[in-house]
Amino acid sequence: MSLETAPSRAAIAEMPAPPPAIEVEHLDAHYGPRQILFDVSLTIRQGEIMVIMGGSGSGKSTLLRHLIGLERPTAGTIRLLGHDIGRLGGTAMLNLRRKIGVAFQGGALFSSMSVSENIKLPLRELAKLNEKTMDIMARLKLEVVNLAGFGHLMPSELSGGMLKRAAVARAIVMDPKLLFFDEPSAGLDPVVSSALDDLILRLREAMDMTIVVVTHEVESALKIADRITILDKGRILTVDTVAGVRHSPDEHIQNLLNRRSEEQEMDAAAYLRRLSGEA
Amino acid sequence: MVENIGRGAVRSLDEIGYAAALLIESLYWVAVGHRLRQPVRAGAVIVQMMQIGVHALPIATLLSATIGIMLAIQSLYSLGLFGAESFAHIGIALSVTREFSPLIMGILIAGRSGSSLSARLSTMSISQEVDALRVIGINPVRFLVAPALIGMVIMVPALTMWSNLVALGASGLYVAGALQISLAAYFDGVIEVLATNDLMHGLGKSALFAVLIALIGVVNGSLVRGGAEGVGSATTKSVVQSISAIVITDMVFAFIATR
Repeated sequence: MSLETAPSRAAIAEMPAPPPAIEVEHLDAHYGPRQILFDVSLTIRQGEIMVIMGGSGSGKSTLLRHLIGLERPTAGTIRLLGHDIGRLGGTAMLNLRRKIGVAFQGGALFSSMSVSENIKLPLRELAKLNEKTMDIMARLKLEVVNLAGFGHLMPSELSGGMLKRAAVARAIVMDPKLLFFDEPSAGLDPVVSSALDDLILRLREAMDMTIVVVTHEVESALKIADRITILDKGRILTVDTVAGVRHSPDEHIQNLLNRRSEEQEMDAAAYLRRLSGEA
Repeated sequence: MVENIGRGAVRSLDEIGYAAALLIESLYWVAVGHRLRQPVRAGAVIVQMMQIGVHALPIATLLSATIGIMLAIQSLYSLGLFGAESFAHIGIALSVTREFSPLIMGILIAGRSGSSLSARLSTMSISQEVDALRVIGINPVRFLVAPALIGMVIMVPALTMWSNLVALGASGLYVAGALQISLAAYFDGVIEVLATNDLMHGLGKSALFAVLIALIGVVNGSLVRGGAEGVGSATTKSVVQSISAIVITDMVFAFIATR
């Protein structure tokens, strides 16, 4: 689908709902004795951009780690493209992983390899391609993320924005069906951050991917999302369209959107008790 | 106090179990990786062999020559107390091949490559490179651990063999000079004294040290917590544990092998 023919958000809303790409049912997650996620259920449809938002400690990164199969749920199920990842093992899980791309917060490029070698790594390890084909594919993906001509550089020679785009190039090299972003705007200036948002929109439209973005950047979320999931203390507060979230009467949601602190007023005596460790 | 000791013991057992699992999984990938179309890459093993062995040759040569000369000096002095200097080659040959070469090379590689392995893996864990491998569908044990383990198991015995040659050569030069005998006469004596079993004793030990260094480096590197401080701490722990494990294993191995 080209940029010119891409349907608007309103047109998408009127279309019949596409099948689910990601289904999360009653997910509980713990780190040691501490419970992080409580009964999280969520459906993300094919071709959708779902933004997962929440304050620090809300559990959004933990939810992402479960969605990409890096953590095992304590309870509940996660289905990616119809496969219950808790029941998959060996080759079946490997085949599913080929349909998933992840762009990590810090890029997570292998520091001992050039950008081009980083992008070729999934092809080298998982696909039987000759060197020339891999070179062409790496250059193609670098073109997509506007990094043409930078493939020979080492990750340490890239700026923050370039690093993130290189990570995207590696994430899309296997043409995944699902693409996950962990805090894509973190640490970037507004101009670079906006360019990355445009890249995410372009990828969905050009490659027909389902995209999940974990972020705390409100502006970025409102720009790219079809729907937004807001987490608070490990529970889903709402799953709604951008307009629905923007006009929500919920105070927590408005505080998050308007970056208002929710710290409660505390009297002096209670404050002293907390400092002395009595409360 | 008792609780802390108990926690430490449980953690140690946990780490030993993890190391055993890593060893088994590495062997699994070496054995069946090709059939699953996920081989342990020869290129990655060669890179490890270069880093562990070839790049360590200058310092290994220097240490081995020094140890050889030091042993020659001590042997001539102690045997000279009862006029038996001409038997110096016997003690030197046996102690170099059975004890000093494997031990010194083990300690050298623990400090040089074990620490480097631990630092590399801990940095990769912290910067999510290991997570990236897993989501790409590349098994980190096959990709990172198995090549390092194979590289160690090949190169530590190879360095030990090199160390035997250098140490015996250096000690020979010193003894020949001190006793006014020819180098050929010294080596005739050494060859007469040494049996294949003595060489195998040292090489077997060094292969065991190699496994210990690799596993301790990997376990400390992959269980890292925290940022830069965690990397430093994992590296230090890796060196201390490797050297301790080498010395203790050396003693146990010598005890069992000489029964």
